Amino acid sequence: MSDDNGSGIDVDEYDDVWVFIEEHAGEVMPVSWELLEEGRTLAEKLGDELVALVIGEDVDEIAEEALARGADRVLVADDPVFEPYRADPYGEQFRAMVEAYKPSIALIGGTHTGRDFAGRVAVPAHAGLTADVTEIDVDDDGLLQARRPAFGGDVLATILCEEHRPQMATIRPGVFEAAEPTGEADGEIVAADVVVEEADCISEVLEREVGDTADITEAERIVAVGHGVEGDLEPARELAEALDAELAASRAAVDEGWIDGARQVGQTGKTVRPDLYVAVGISGAIQHLEGMNKSGTVIAINNDPNAPIFEHADYGIVGDLFEVCPDLADRLEGDLQEVVQ
Amino acid sequence: MSWTIAVGVKQVPDDDEVGIDPDTGRLDRASAPAVMNPPDRDALEAALTIRDQVGGEVIAVTMGPPNAKTVLEQAVAMGCDDAVLVTDRAFAGSDTWPTSLTLARTAEALEADVVVCGEETTDSSTGQVPPGIAAHNGWAQLTYVEGVDARPEEDRLAARRDVEGGHELVAADLPVVVAVAYGEFDTRPAGLHRKIYAENDFEPTQWTAEDLEIKEEVGLDVSPTSVGGMETVDPVDRRGEVVDDIDDLAEVLTEVNA
Ligand SMILES: Cc1cc2nc3c(=O)[nH]c(=O)nc-3n(C[C@H](O)[C@H](O)[C@H](O)COP(=O)(O)OP(=O)(O)OC[C@H]3O[C@@H](n4cnc5c(N)ncnc54)[C@H](O)[C@@H]3O)c2cc1C
Ligand SMILES: Cc1cc2nc3c(=O)[nH]c(=O)nc-3n(C[C@H](O)[C@H](O)[C@H](O)COP(=O)(O)OP(=O)(O)OC[C@H]3O[C@@H](n4cnc5c(N)ncnc54)[C@H](O)[C@@H]3O)c2cc1C
Repeated sequence: MSDDNGSGIDVDEYDDVWVFIEEHAGEVMPVSWELLEEGRTLAEKLGDELVALVIGEDVDEIAEEALARGADRVLVADDPVFEPYRADPYGEQFRAMVEAYKPSIALIGGTHTGRDFAGRVAVPAHAGLTADVTEIDVDDDGLLQARRPAFGGDVLATILCEEHRPQMATIRPGVFEAAEPTGEADGEIVAADVVVEEADCISEVLEREVGDTADITEAERIVAVGHGVEGDLEPARELAEALDAELAASRAAVDEGWIDGARQVGQTGKTVRPDLYVAVGISGAIQHLEGMNKSGTVIAINNDPNAPIFEHADYGIVGDLFEVCPDLADRLEGDLQEVVQ
Repeated sequence: MSWTIAVGVKQVPDDDEVGIDPDTGRLDRASAPAVMNPPDRDALEAALTIRDQVGGEVIAVTMGPPNAKTVLEQAVAMGCDDAVLVTDRAFAGSDTWPTSLTLARTAEALEADVVVCGEETTDSSTGQVPPGIAAHNGWAQLTYVEGVDARPEEDRLAARRDVEGGHELVAADLPVVVAVAYGEFDTRPAGLHRKIYAENDFEPTQWTAEDLEIKEEVGLDVSPTSVGGMETVDPVDRRGEVVDDIDDLAEVLTEVNA
């Protein structure tokens, strides 16, 4: 054995790039397809296979779609114990598959679900787990270079996992682009042994409410609300309609319960890159900027001339959002009519 | 019925006080004062809420350098019954694997029924420590928690979790690790007497890696990840133009939209 690195792990025994396909009640999270596309680039560079991992109940169609989207192989663990999601059965199943198949790289969406169970795989496997990654590549030695923002986004750190395997990472939703399925599915679907039983589970889902499942990461125009709207989304909604834009929010607005978490932009929300981003009543905290600074044109509406958001916007106006938004919406609709006439 | 509730608090550089090094022009974190990780205030409040529901003891725990004692004093001022400082040079260079091992062993040594943590820290913000503690001990976990409901008669803790596309209510067997969603638990004010006691008379228990019997299992050597490099991110260059007339803004928007 060429195990000379002191970790007790022979890194040469591990190959393939794994991508976890996250699904809830048959719906696949968009980040999974983003990762499959990015995983293909890594696999090609490494000359490895791209393997999709599907865990759930009745997930045949999802496995087929993963093949159509370019996976060389799909490993499926299909069992009622996996629906709805819980950390303990998912973590244990994923861990057992890692032990059986020895992947070199495993990418997981940085959703609440992905970040919930990834540690339950990495800890018993003694794998390296890099959190909330926004850039990935492999170096000449085939080592994963995972870059992630730290200190609220002031710093980009490169995290390596040299002597342990797999090299695991959770990846922030919205930073990569998914590709359309090619339709050419010549890979294989492999049923994995299900290693968990309901009787061993230590948690139970009692209730589940489905909320807003909007995907703001694909929006071309966004109007985002902050704490400044004080619970009244109407002015921003009017402006969003006039611009044909999606509504998004800062974490402060989400925490107040004014708008659903699926629409949160920032470090602990989504990364968006629309052509136009209008920040309404948002102060411009670093954790917010991190999710929107790849936008095209940024506009700020804020009544505090010293709000940091003005430095991070292309154009701004100092004013009361309750007046500026409707006024602006009116003018835009007027302009639109001119164009139509 | 009474539960032992451990709560993890970490010392981090104060975000608002990070200055620029005049020589290098880079952010200078080393000179920023250390404060309690803001999301850990939510964790403390959640721990106190659980104590209100079932009775028992709340014990604040930090793994860090000796001066991290100040965050424990703050936790005691805010209502914790006791505190443990886990400190040892052997911890230097630990990634989340040994960090969560250390906290897992501490929780075991305290015979904790519940470990409450923050969502993530404001410095390295991995959010991996709470699930890591649960994984090392084979305990249940509840992350992104917005509300807690202790059910001592079932030996379980139920919690409302924020999940993809909604919310769920999940019950987990004890012992359980809880990571609280940031901003969801408003901290109660620290009482003046408690504050005076915490600052003047209180001394935390101190444990080392040896006390926890993990001397060989911590630090750089057992950490699977390492920081290969760090770059300061330059802010995206924006025009920063403030217009006075709303018509000018409308014009810009029409152009962008065309
Ligand atoms: C670990 C961690 C993770 C985080 N993750 C995120 C994240 O993902 N996304 C995120 O957004 N934040 C995040 N935050 C929170 C972040 O630090 C800020 O607290 C948050 O972004 C503030 O939101 P806000 O700008 O809406 O509210 P505030 O900072 O309260 O700003 C409100 C703004 O509205 C303006 N205003 C008020 N009234 C009016 C009016 N009538 N007209 C016009 N303007 C008005 C005010 O001048 C002010 O600038 C995180 C924090 C931590 C610690
Ligand atoms: C720039 C940078 C990037 C890093 N990236 C990674 C990475 O991707 N993967 C990795 O494995 N390691 C990483 N590390 C190492 C990691 O930061 C340390 O292990 C750190 O001590 C714990 O991680 P955290 O601050 O992210 O905690 P989190 O998991 O974000 O903390 C969540 C909660 O756990 C509790 N908690 C965390 N630490 C302590 C403590 N010391 N004492 C008491 N309670 C605590 C608190 O309640 C806290 O709110 C990185 C370090 C740096 C400097």
